[in-house]
Amino acid sequence: MSNRRSRQSSSAPRISDNQMIDLVSKLRQILPEIGQRRRSDKASASKVLQETCNYIRNLNREVDNLSERLSQLLESVDEDSPEAAVIRSLLM
Amino acid sequence: MASADKLINTDVPEKDVFAFHFLQSLSNLRKQNPFDTPDQKNYRVRKIKKAAYVSMARAAGGSSRLWSRALLRRADKDDNKIVRFSRRKWKISSKRRRSNQRAPVVEEAAERLRNLVPGGGGMETSKLMEETAHYIKCLSMQVKVMQCLVDGLSPK
Repeated sequence: MSNRRSRQSSSAPRISDNQMIDLVSKLRQILPEIGQRRRSDKASASKVLQETCNYIRNLNREVDNLSERLSQLLESVDEDSPEAAVIRSLLM
Repeated sequence: MASADKLINTDVPEKDVFAFHFLQSLSNLRKQNPFDTPDQKNYRVRKIKKAAYVSMARAAGGSSRLWSRALLRRADKDDNKIVRFSRRKWKISSKRRRSNQRAPVVEEAAERLRNLVPGGGGMETSKLMEETAHYIKCLSMQVKVMQCLVDGLSPK
């Protein structure tokens, strides 16, 4: 009975719980850490989503660090060094 | 660096495409703002970071994906501001919260994900998952290429 009421209240197309599990497991496949750590037991949907968030944050942090390293490298390189030649050939 | 990874899903942009865009942006940056001036360090880092994300979105086909479209739009908008693509706060409207009967923890985690994926705020949950998967693949490709560049340029 309460089912009918909840149906009415949601107008936007929603995905079912089964679809959700399916999507989450797809997401899980591309996350190396999660996939390896527990392949056997079923990670809960919220756990997978949480780890997905952490994974994205880590990647963003890596981009931050690498940008900083690149900036240092591009600025500090000695014009006569072989590294400078690499940069020149890359950034024509 | 440019060697094609055969195992990679065809859905994901090739590393070379990203590298091409990124190097071109770096080259433009270098012309506008020569890298040998010691000041403006943070400005430069920000520009490089932005170039990386924009190149990733371009390599992903520009507007063919929701996240890349959102990212490019935002990059256009805050051109001279601090670029932090991942930090947009998205408030859950009470209406939306009420309409979701799924476990609240799941919805909470999904909301957090919405803040991290560009354009995620407006996405249906199923769309969010799909875009997240693609975004993560592209992001790790981006990190790999940037790491290759750093390794290649580092003094041996």
